[in-house]
Amino acid sequence: MDITTKISIPNQIPEIEKVCDIVSTFGEEKGLPQKIIFAFHLALDEILTNIISYGYRDKDEHIIDIHLSLQAGALALEIIDDSVPFDPSDAPVPDVNQPLEERKIGGLGIYLVKNLMDEVEYKSDNGTNRLTLKKKF
Amino acid sequence: MIIKTEKINNINIISIQGRLDSNTAGELEQRLLPTIDQGETHFILDFSELDYISSAGLRVLLQAAKKINAVCGKMAICAVKPEVKEVFDIAGLTIIFKMFDNPDSAVKAIL
Repeated sequence: MDITTKISIPNQIPEIEKVCDIVSTFGEEKGLPQKIIFAFHLALDEILTNIISYGYRDKDEHIIDIHLSLQAGALALEIIDDSVPFDPSDAPVPDVNQPLEERKIGGLGIYLVKNLMDEVEYKSDNGTNRLTLKKKF
Repeated sequence: MIIKTEKINNINIISIQGRLDSNTAGELEQRLLPTIDQGETHFILDFSELDYISSAGLRVLLQAAKKINAVCGKMAICAVKPEVKEVFDIAGLTIIFKMFDNPDSAVKAIL
């Protein structure tokens, strides 16, 4: 049995904590392991932060949809937005072996997402971005 | 997020409480980075009441660590909760930041 739920937020940074908390509450209610809840909370935070911080060239309000889908043995999150197309697999990978002086400041968000999730799939469809995050438990 | 600061001799003890994320990291950046520019060199970050950190928070800490390193200062983090430490581990930053169990052991290490 699949359980799905949909949340929509405007593109404002303070909305991120609200939607992440909704996802965490959903996970707790469904009895998901704490590690999974933590992984999705952080991954969603990182993705939404990137979209809201860097994804829009105007000052208008945009809506971001988050679809949660609980399947047997896995949780999937689909983030749908109309921001500037960005495929996470294009993001530069930070070199985690570099010493402090050489460590670059950027790129950590996507790096965390890729390490937290089992699957990260991006599709750009006529001006709409669809990013799916999936993790098995 | 609440930031509390205390200074003991030349060591700045900064307690960061709550969440350090894209909503709050700017505040830490504005409180911490200028003090390094103003000549402060020794810092202990007390994470005993820090519940959550995202890359926005890690970014500010990395900027601070680089600045402190550039002036031959010292920074240590203490009392890191497991869920926060995990984010440092995944980001590969655990080796960069000196972490201690409590403020006392952190102070001893950076004196």
